[in-house]
Amino acid sequence: MDLRGKYGLLIDDIAEMRTTVRIQLADSGLEKCDAARNIKEAIERLSQRRYDLIVCDYNLGQGADGQQLLELVRRRQLLPLSSAFLMITGETGYEQVSTAAEYAPDDYLIKPFTSELLRSRLERILEKKEALRPLYQVLTDKVDRAKALAICDILLAAKGRYVLDILRHKGQLLLESKRNDEALALYQGVLDQRATPWAEVGKARALAATGNEEEARQHLQRALDAYPNYLAAYDSLALLLEKTDKTAAQEVVEKALKVAPSTQRQRRLGGLALENKDYPRAESAFRRATEKDRTGFFKSHDDYAGLAKSCAEQGKIDDAFAAVKDMGNHFGRSSDLLARQAAVESLVHVKAGNPLAAKAALARALALNDDQALDPTTALEIATACFATGDAETAKGIIQSVAEDHNENETVIQLAQGVFLAAGHGEEGAVFLEATRKRMIKLNNDAVAMAKAGDLDHAIAMLTEAADRLTNNCQVSVNAALAILMDVQRNGAAPEKFSRAQTYILQARRANPEHRQLADLAKFYRKLAPPGTPIIEET
Amino acid sequence: MDALIAAAIHDAKNGLSALNTWLAEAQREHPSQALTEAQSVAIRVSAQMVELLALYRAAEGSLRLAIDDHDLTDFCQDLGAGRVLPPQSALRLETKLAAAADIGAWAFDAYQVNLVLLDALRNAVRFARRVVRLSVEKTIDGICFTVADDGPGFPAEILDGAETTMDSGSSGLGLRFARLIAQRHATPDGRHGRIELGNDSGANGGAVFRLFLP
Repeated sequence: MDLRGKYGLLIDDIAEMRTTVRIQLADSGLEKCDAARNIKEAIERLSQRRYDLIVCDYNLGQGADGQQLLELVRRRQLLPLSSAFLMITGETGYEQVSTAAEYAPDDYLIKPFTSELLRSRLERILEKKEALRPLYQVLTDKVDRAKALAICDILLAAKGRYVLDILRHKGQLLLESKRNDEALALYQGVLDQRATPWAEVGKARALAATGNEEEARQHLQRALDAYPNYLAAYDSLALLLEKTDKTAAQEVVEKALKVAPSTQRQRRLGGLALENKDYPRAESAFRRATEKDRTGFFKSHDDYAGLAKSCAEQGKIDDAFAAVKDMGNHFGRSSDLLARQAAVESLVHVKAGNPLAAKAALARALALNDDQALDPTTALEIATACFATGDAETAKGIIQSVAEDHNENETVIQLAQGVFLAAGHGEEGAVFLEATRKRMIKLNNDAVAMAKAGDLDHAIAMLTEAADRLTNNCQVSVNAALAILMDVQRNGAAPEKFSRAQTYILQARRANPEHRQLADLAKFYRKLAPPGTPIIEET
Repeated sequence: MDALIAAAIHDAKNGLSALNTWLAEAQREHPSQALTEAQSVAIRVSAQMVELLALYRAAEGSLRLAIDDHDLTDFCQDLGAGRVLPPQSALRLETKLAAAADIGAWAFDAYQVNLVLLDALRNAVRFARRVVRLSVEKTIDGICFTVADDGPGFPAEILDGAETTMDSGSSGLGLRFARLIAQRHATPDGRHGRIELGNDSGANGGAVFRLFLP
C-alpha cells in the first residue's frame, strides 16, 4: 500500500506539532496533505473534498477533542467509512480513544512515535480500507442493510485477515435489522473462542433485544468488572437501566464520564438527574455541557434548557433566566430557538411565581408553533410549559400532533411520555399516547381497505390530507403515494398524478429512509411512470 | 502532594524524551559508543517513569486498562523487539512468532503489554550471553508471551516472589509493573493474567519470563 497519491488531512491545534507530523507524513510518502487547526477548520475542509486519511490529535483545545470531532463528521456523513481516521494521543489519552463507543478511530498512535511507525500504521489501515471497500461503500451510501449483510457474507466466505472486523459490522447490522437471534449466535460464536469486550457488549444488546433484559444487565455488569474502561458497555447499560431504574442509570453515566468526558454524556447525565430530581447534579452537568465546548459544534438547545430548569427548581431564578438568555447567544436565530427560549422562560416564571409573565412568554412560544413546523423537542417543551401554566388541553393538543407526526419514532414518543410524567399525568399520558398510536394505525388500515374496495378517491383524500399535515409520518406518506399510483393503474396516467406521488415518496424518504416499504414503492412508481416524469432517485 | 508526584513524573519523562532527541542528534553528528550507552539509559529511565506512573495511578485507583482486540501479528511487528539490541551487539534475537497468525486477534491493552515485554527484553539483553528468545503461543485458556535468555538465570529470591534482591541495584519496578499489568487483564468470567518467572534447566540455562493473558 503506497501513500503516494493519497490525500490527507492533518488536524492539530499546536503549530509545532502540525509541522513535526507533517514532516513525518511526508517521510512516509504522503505528499498531498492539508492542515486544520481546529474543529471548525476541519469541518470546512471535510465539507469541501474527500480525504483518504485523517490524522488527528486527540486534544484539540477549546474544550473539544478528536473523538467528538470523529463522531460528528461520521454522523453527518462528512467522512465516509472508506476514509481512514488515525488518532494521535498522549499516553494518558489513549485509554479514552481506544475504547470509544460507537465511532471508534481506525487506529491510534501514542506520542512520541517514529515516521516508520506512523507509516506502517497508515499503510495497515489503508490496506484494510481497500479490502473492505465494498462493505464501506454500501454502509456509507444509504441504508440497505440486506445488501450490506450480503456483502459481509461474501467477504466472510473469502476468509482473509479481516474476519473479525467484518463480524463486528455484521453483528451491528443484524441488531439494526432486528435479526436478534442471529446476532446473539454471532456474538456467542466469537465468545466461545475467547473473551473480548465488543462481543460481550454485542451479546448483551442481543439479549436485551430478545427480551432478556435482566440477563443483559447482569452480563454488562460483569463485562464492566473486567473492562472498566469500555465505554460501549456503560452506554448500553445506561440505556437499559433508563427503562427501569433512572437513579442507577444516572450512576452509570457518572462512571462513564469519569472514563471519558464528552458534551453528549454530560447532557445525558443532566437529563437523568433532572428526572431524578437531583437538581444540583443536573445543574453542574448542564453547566459543564454549556461551558466546556467552546467550539459550539457539540452543544444543543437542550443544554441551556436543562440548565435553566435545574436552576429554577432550586430557586435560582436569576441563573435560570441567564441560561435562557445565553441560549440565544450561542445558536443561530431560528423559530425553534425563539420558541424554545420562550417556553423555558415561561417555565422559569412559573417557578418564580409570576403567572402573568409565564402566560405572556407561553403566548409567544405558541404563536411560533402556529404552522406546527417546529422540531418535536421544541414543540414538546411548549407542551411542558402549557401544563405548567395550567393549560392541559393545549398541552395535549400539541402532544397529539407531535405523536401523530412522529408516530413511528420511539425516541419522540418517549419524550412525549416524559412530558406527561413531569406534569404528574404519567398514567393518563400512557393511555393517551397508546390511543394516538392506534388511531394512526386505524387511519392507515381504513384507507388501504377503502382503496382495495374500490373507493380510491375517498382513500386518496383521506391519506393526502393526513400526509400534508403529518410530514414526518413515513407510513402515511407511503400510503398516500401508493393510493395515487393505484389510481394511475386503474384510471390511467396523468403527469399531475406522478408529481403528487413523487412528492409523497420524497417526503416519506425524508421522514424515514429505512422504511421497509420504500424500496417496493419506488419500484412500483418506476414501473408505471413513463419516461420524462419526475424522477425519484436521490441525487 | 499527590498531583505533584504525577506532574513531576510527567516532567521527568518529557525531559528524558527531549534528552533522547538530542542524543540521537549528537549521534548523527559524531557517532560514539558512549552516546549509544547514554541513549539506552535514557530510554530505560523513560520507560521506568511510565511504569512508575502506572503504579502510581493504580494506587490512586485511576489506572484503567484499554482492552480491545489487536491483531497479534501487527502487535509483534510493532513491538520492535529488534531495537532492544544495542547496535553492533554480539547478541542474537530469536523470535518464534508463527503462532501469532494462527491466533489472529486477542483482546488486551497493547500499550501496556508492549511496555511489559520491552522491559522483559531489555532485562534479558542485560544478562544474556549469546541469545535472547521471544515467542508467543496459545495456551488452554489464553495466550502466553515468553522472553528467555541464556544468562545466569533469576536469583533464588526473585523466584521466591521478591521483586528485587539486596545486591542487584535494581528497584524491582519492572517486575512490579509486569505483575500489575498482567493482573489487570481480566475476563468477565473472572480469569486474570499473570506472570511466571523461572530458570531454564536445559543446556542453555538462563531466565525465562512468561506473561499469560486470559
